[in-house]
Amino acid sequence: MREVLEGSQAVAEAVRLARVKVVSAYPITPQTHIVEELAKYCADGSLDGKFICVESEHSAMASVIGAESGGMRSFTASSSHGLALMHEMLHWAAGARLPIVMAEVNRALGPGWNLWVDQTDSLSQRDTGWLQFYCSDGQEVMDTTLLAYRLAEILNLPVMVVMDAFFLSHTYEPVDVPSQAEADAFLPPYEPKFLMDTGNPYALNEVAPINVYMEMRRSIQQAMEAAPGIYQAIEDEFYRQFGRRYGLVEPYRCEDADIVFVMVGTAAATARVAIDSLRAEGEKVGLLRLRMFRPFPAAAFRAGLANAKKVVVLDRNCSFGVGGIFAQELKAALYGPAAPKLYSYVAGMGGRDVTVDTIRTLYAMTRDQDEPAHESLWFGVHEEMLRS
Amino acid sequence: MSNNLNAFPVSLFFPKSSTSTVANKTGTWSFMRPCYLEKTAPCSVHCPCGQDIPRIEMLVSRGQIIAAWRTILAENPLPGTCGRVCFHPCEKACNRGEFDEAVSINAIERYVDDTARAASISAPVAKGRAKGKRIAIAGSGPAGLAASYFLAMLGYECDIFEAAGEPGGVLRYGIPAYRLPNDVLDREIARIRALGVDIHCSRAVDPAFIGSAKKTYDAVFLSCGNGASMKLGVPGEELAVDGLAFLRRAKNGDTAQAMPVKPHGSAIVVGGGNSAIDVARSLLRQGVSPTIVYRRRREDMPAFEHEVARALEEGVRIVELRAPLALARVDGGIELKVRKMRPAGIGADGRMRVVPDGDATEVISAEALYSAIGAAHAESWMVPPDDARVARMSHSAAFWDAPAGIPVLYGGDPVNEDESVADAIASGKQAAIALDAFFEKGAASVNAEIARCTVGDGTSLSMEIYLGGPRAKRTGRVVSFKDINTDYFSPSEKTRGASVPPERAIASFEEIESPLDAAGATLQAERCFNCGICNDCDNCRTYCPEAAVAALRAGRQDDWSTEAGPAREISSDYCKGCGICVAECPRCAMIIEEQQS
Amino acid sequence: MKNELYSGVEYLNPGHVGCPGCGATIAMKLALRALGEHTMVVIPASCWAIIAGNYPQSSLKVPILHTAFATTGAVASGLRAALDLRGDRETTIVGWAGDGGTFDIGFQALSAAAERCEDFIYVCYDNEAYMNTGVQRSSSTPWGARTMTTPGDKWKRTDKKNIVEIMAAHRIPYAATASIAYPEDFERKMRKAASIRSGLRFIHLYSSCPTGWGFAPENSVKVARLAVQTKAFPLYEVEDGIEYTINEAGNKPVKEYLRTQNRFRHLSDGDIAQIQEHVDQEWTRLLRKAEED
Repeated sequence: MREVLEGSQAVAEAVRLARVKVVSAYPITPQTHIVEELAKYCADGSLDGKFICVESEHSAMASVIGAESGGMRSFTASSSHGLALMHEMLHWAAGARLPIVMAEVNRALGPGWNLWVDQTDSLSQRDTGWLQFYCSDGQEVMDTTLLAYRLAEILNLPVMVVMDAFFLSHTYEPVDVPSQAEADAFLPPYEPKFLMDTGNPYALNEVAPINVYMEMRRSIQQAMEAAPGIYQAIEDEFYRQFGRRYGLVEPYRCEDADIVFVMVGTAAATARVAIDSLRAEGEKVGLLRLRMFRPFPAAAFRAGLANAKKVVVLDRNCSFGVGGIFAQELKAALYGPAAPKLYSYVAGMGGRDVTVDTIRTLYAMTRDQDEPAHESLWFGVHEEMLRS
Repeated sequence: MSNNLNAFPVSLFFPKSSTSTVANKTGTWSFMRPCYLEKTAPCSVHCPCGQDIPRIEMLVSRGQIIAAWRTILAENPLPGTCGRVCFHPCEKACNRGEFDEAVSINAIERYVDDTARAASISAPVAKGRAKGKRIAIAGSGPAGLAASYFLAMLGYECDIFEAAGEPGGVLRYGIPAYRLPNDVLDREIARIRALGVDIHCSRAVDPAFIGSAKKTYDAVFLSCGNGASMKLGVPGEELAVDGLAFLRRAKNGDTAQAMPVKPHGSAIVVGGGNSAIDVARSLLRQGVSPTIVYRRRREDMPAFEHEVARALEEGVRIVELRAPLALARVDGGIELKVRKMRPAGIGADGRMRVVPDGDATEVISAEALYSAIGAAHAESWMVPPDDARVARMSHSAAFWDAPAGIPVLYGGDPVNEDESVADAIASGKQAAIALDAFFEKGAASVNAEIARCTVGDGTSLSMEIYLGGPRAKRTGRVVSFKDINTDYFSPSEKTRGASVPPERAIASFEEIESPLDAAGATLQAERCFNCGICNDCDNCRTYCPEAAVAALRAGRQDDWSTEAGPAREISSDYCKGCGICVAECPRCAMIIEEQQS
Repeated sequence: MKNELYSGVEYLNPGHVGCPGCGATIAMKLALRALGEHTMVVIPASCWAIIAGNYPQSSLKVPILHTAFATTGAVASGLRAALDLRGDRETTIVGWAGDGGTFDIGFQALSAAAERCEDFIYVCYDNEAYMNTGVQRSSSTPWGARTMTTPGDKWKRTDKKNIVEIMAAHRIPYAATASIAYPEDFERKMRKAASIRSGLRFIHLYSSCPTGWGFAPENSVKVARLAVQTKAFPLYEVEDGIEYTINEAGNKPVKEYLRTQNRFRHLSDGDIAQIQEHVDQEWTRLLRKAEED
C-alpha cells in the first residue's frame, strides 16, 4: 500500500514487517523517530516483541547481541556519537557472527555538537565486519531493511542500513509498503544456525588462541566475499516479488559518460538533477551511486567505470590525515594502469548543503583540471574563518 | 519460501565450543599431592580397650547404632558394663575438651548397648576359625571374661574356672547394683558363652591345677582379681566389717533390693577408693548414714571423681586428713581414734604425702565401722613370679617357659597399675593376642606383634588392627587439638543421661542414671570431632576448585554405608596441589606431601 | 555431621586454568550445583573469561555467552528477552562478572538492568581488584590494600564501594552477600535468587584470590571465612531494598584477617585501628538496618 512516510517511519515499518522480536535502542537525534515509532508498535502490539529501554548505545548493541544469541531476530538504531559509543560492540557483533540489522543515521561527530548529515560516523565503522548499505530515499530504506535481514541471516554477519540525517530520516516521501503476507513471503522466520540452548550447551565467543583466531577472521572475510553474489540472488527474488531492485551500485546515465560522479545518500538525488541539467548542455556526465559499501563492490565499480575517463568522488566525510574515505576506497579498488583519474572532493560535512550548484561546480572543476590533486580538495570552506 | 540457507553455504568459523576441558591434565602443574590418611584419636589411645571411639561416635551420629555396637564389640566384650562403670579416661584425653567440653563417650557407649539390647541382635561377634588349641582361664572377672572372648574370636577353645558360685568377679560381687545391675552383666556373659566359652563355677584353681593343666590345655591365663581385703593394721581391727564382704552380700540375690545386711543408724567407712565409696553409698540405700574417713585429702582419693561427687550429693560425709589409730567397742557401736594429718608434698609414687599434724587425735563414733582400704591378691600363685624370664607387658605378664610346661600368663589386678574394669579387659586382650602370636609365630614375635596392634603411642591394643581390618590402615600419629579446624564447630553442651535426684536415688539400688535418648545421643555424638578419621563431611569435595575429588559413595545420610575409610578419590590428573582440602578437613584425616615421581 | 552428600552432576569440568586455590572456581562450582542444568551464564572479560576455557573447550556443562567487559547487565537482559519470547521461563540466566565488570566498567549496565527490573541473577564474584589483567585496583579494592596501581606508599586510601547498598537503593527484590567459605548459605541464596522473578537479584560473592592477595592457596577458604568472622564481610540479605537480615558474622578482630595477606602487610597498627573502626561503624549501621521493622 502506498503511504507517505517519513524516512524514520519507513525503517520502523520494515522492522515491524520483518517480525523483529527484540528492539533495544537508545535515543539520539536524528534517530529518535525510529525508536519512538518502534516503541509505539511494541506498546500497541503491532510489533509482537520486546522493547528494551537501555541506558546507552553500547548497551543497546550488547542487549541485541544477547537477544540474537538467544535466537531472536533483533534490531537497533543509532547515529553519530551513539554509533561511536557502540564501536566495541560492533566488532563484537560481527565476530560473534550475529545477523543483527541496524539503522544508522549519518550524523556529524563532535565536538562541536552537530546534528546534521555527515558520513564520518558510519565510515569510522568500516573495519568492524558489518555490511553497510547507503540509501537515498524512503522506499530504498524500507526495501533495504527487509533485504538486510535476509542477507544477514544467510551470511551470519550484521548489516547496517545507512541514511542521511534529516534529509532522509525526517523527510516524507511516498513509499510502497508491503503487506505482512508479502513481507513474510520474502522474509521467512529466523532460523538461527546456533543459539544459547541448555539442551545443546556450548560456550560462545570465548578465547580464540593464536592457532585459530586468524582462521576465524578469515571466515568473516570469506562471508564478506560471498556477500555480493548472495545479495544479488536475494535481490532477484525481491525484484520478482516487488518489482524493485537497486544493485550494489546504481548507475545513472553512465553509458557514455566521460566523467562519472560517485557518491552516496540524498546528495545522489541532487546529483541526478544536476546531471540532467549538464546533459542538457551536452556534457557527458553520469552518476554511479554507491549502495553497498561493505563489502566494497570493487568489481562492480571496475565494470561500471570502465569507460569513464574521470571519476568524481564526493565525500561528506574525512579521514583526517588522509582525506575523503570513499575516494580512498575507490582509488584502491581501481588501482592499476587502466584506472580512470580520480578527483576527490570533501563537501557537505556537518549538514552543509550539497546543491545542484555544488555538483555543477565540481563538474566544472573536474572537467577543467587535467590531473587530479593527490589529496582530497575541500569544497565550500569559508577560509576566512580559519585565518582568524 | 524458506530461507533456503542450504542454497547459500557460507563460511561460519567462530568461537563456539563444547569440548570439555577434561582433556587438560592440570595435575602436571604441581608435585604436591593431598591424600587421605586416617590417624589415631587420643581418646582411643587412652581407652585401655583401645576402642575406635571416633568411629563409634560417627556411627551413632548417623543413627547407625548396631554398626556402632559392632565397632565397640570388636574391642570390648562388655559395653553394657563399661558404659556404666568405666572411669572413662577417654573423656579426659578428648580433644573437644579443649574447645568446650569433652564428648560424652561413656554415656553414648551405654546408649549404644541399651539400644542394641532392645533390638535383640544375636551373635554379633563371630568365633574365629578353630585353631585346635584350648586355654584354661582362672577367674571370671572382666580380665578372664575378656581373655576368653578374644581368644574365642581368634579361634581358641576356652574354659574359665571361677571359685564363686556365679561368674563375673568384681562385676557381680563388688560393684553395687545401682551402678551395674546383674541383668546387664548376665547379658554380656551370655554373649561370651555363645562363643563356646565354658564357665565352670565353684571351681577354684590352685597350683596343682596349674601344674597338671598341660594334659588338657595349651596355655593358662591367671586373672584372679585382688579379693583379699587389706587389714587396717591397727589395734581393734577385728571390729571392722570387711567392706568387700559387705558389698558381696549387698549384691547377692537377683534383685538389687535384697538386703540381708542389718541396718545401722550410722557407720564409718575407712578408705578412699571406689570400694569405700561403693560401701558408703550402699549403706545409704539401707538407711544408714555413712561417714568416710580418709587419711589424705578428698582430691587425693583414688576413687573415680564422679563417684566421689555423687557420694557427696547423696549425703555421704567425707572426713579428710584423718588416719586411723585404733578401734574400740563402746556402748552402741564403735569408736575410732584418728590422727589428724596434713599434706606434706608429693611423694615418690606421685601421690600427696601426708604426715601427722602435731600430736592431735580425735575420736569419731558410729554404730558400725566398715574397712575398705584396698585389696591385694589372695594367694601368691596369682601373681607373676619374680623371674627374669617372665615377659612384662603393659597389662599382662607372660611366662612362656613356665615350669608347668605350657605358657602361663597373668592379667588383671595383679599386674595392672590401675585396677579398673577397662584395664582388666585390656589384660585379657593383651594376653589373647600375645598367646596367638606365640602359637602362630613363636615367643620372639610377641613384642613385635603387640607393637603392631598398639593404638597410637599408648599401651592399648586393637584387635581389629591385629586382624588387619580397615583400622590397620590408619597411622599411629595421634591427632591433637591444634590439628582440628575448629571453624567447623560451635560450642555446645555436654550432657549425659538424666540422673535420678539424690533423694530418690538413695531410696533403692535401682540404676541412678537413665541413658541418653535417641535425640540426645545423636546430639552428643555429633559433638565428637571424629579426630583423624573421615566422617563424610565432604569439605574436601565441596571446596576443591578443580572438581578433582570424587565421592565413591553419595546420597542421603541414611543410605550411607557403614564401610570404614574415606570413600573419596583425588584425581592426580587434575589436582593442582592447592591444599585447600587438607586445610579444610576439620579432623586431620588428610595429609599433603610431595609426590615422588 | 549430617549432610546430604551432593550427588548431582558437577557442572564445572576439571582441567580449567584457574590458579591453584582460586576462590572464583569454587564459587562457580557451588553456584551451578544450586541452580542445575537449566542455567545459562553470561561472562564478561574477567578471570572467568579465561577459566571458561579456550576454543574449542569449555569448562562448564551449561551454555556460556561470553561478552565484552562493560556489558553483562545488557547482554543478560537481551538474552532473557529472547528466552521469554521463545517460551522458555525455566532457564535461569546468571550474569557472572568480577568486581571490575560490576563496580566499575560494568556498573552502568548493571544499574540499568536493575532499574528495568530485569529477570536474571547477577553474581559479582569479588576478588577485590582487576585480577585478570594483573592485579590492578578497582573500586572494590578495600582501603589499605596494595595493588599494582596502588603500589608502595600509594596504597589505596579510598573505601571499598558498598555495592550491596547501591543495589539495595535500586530497590531490587533481592540482594545479598555470600562467601565461598559458607557454601550452604551461598547455595541457599542462589536458589532463593532463582525463585524470584520480579526483578534483578544481586549476589555479592566474596571470592578469595591467593594470587592477587598474597597468601598460600590452601588458605583460600580460611581467608574467606575470616573475612566474615571479623565482619570485614558480614553475610546478610536485603529484600526489596529495605528489609535486612543478617545471616552470619563473628567477633574476631579485623587484624586477624588482615595479617593473613601480603596485600595488607605494610599496614601499621594505626592503619589497622582505622580499618577496625570503619568495620565497626559499618557493622553498627548494618545492625540498625536489620533492627528496623
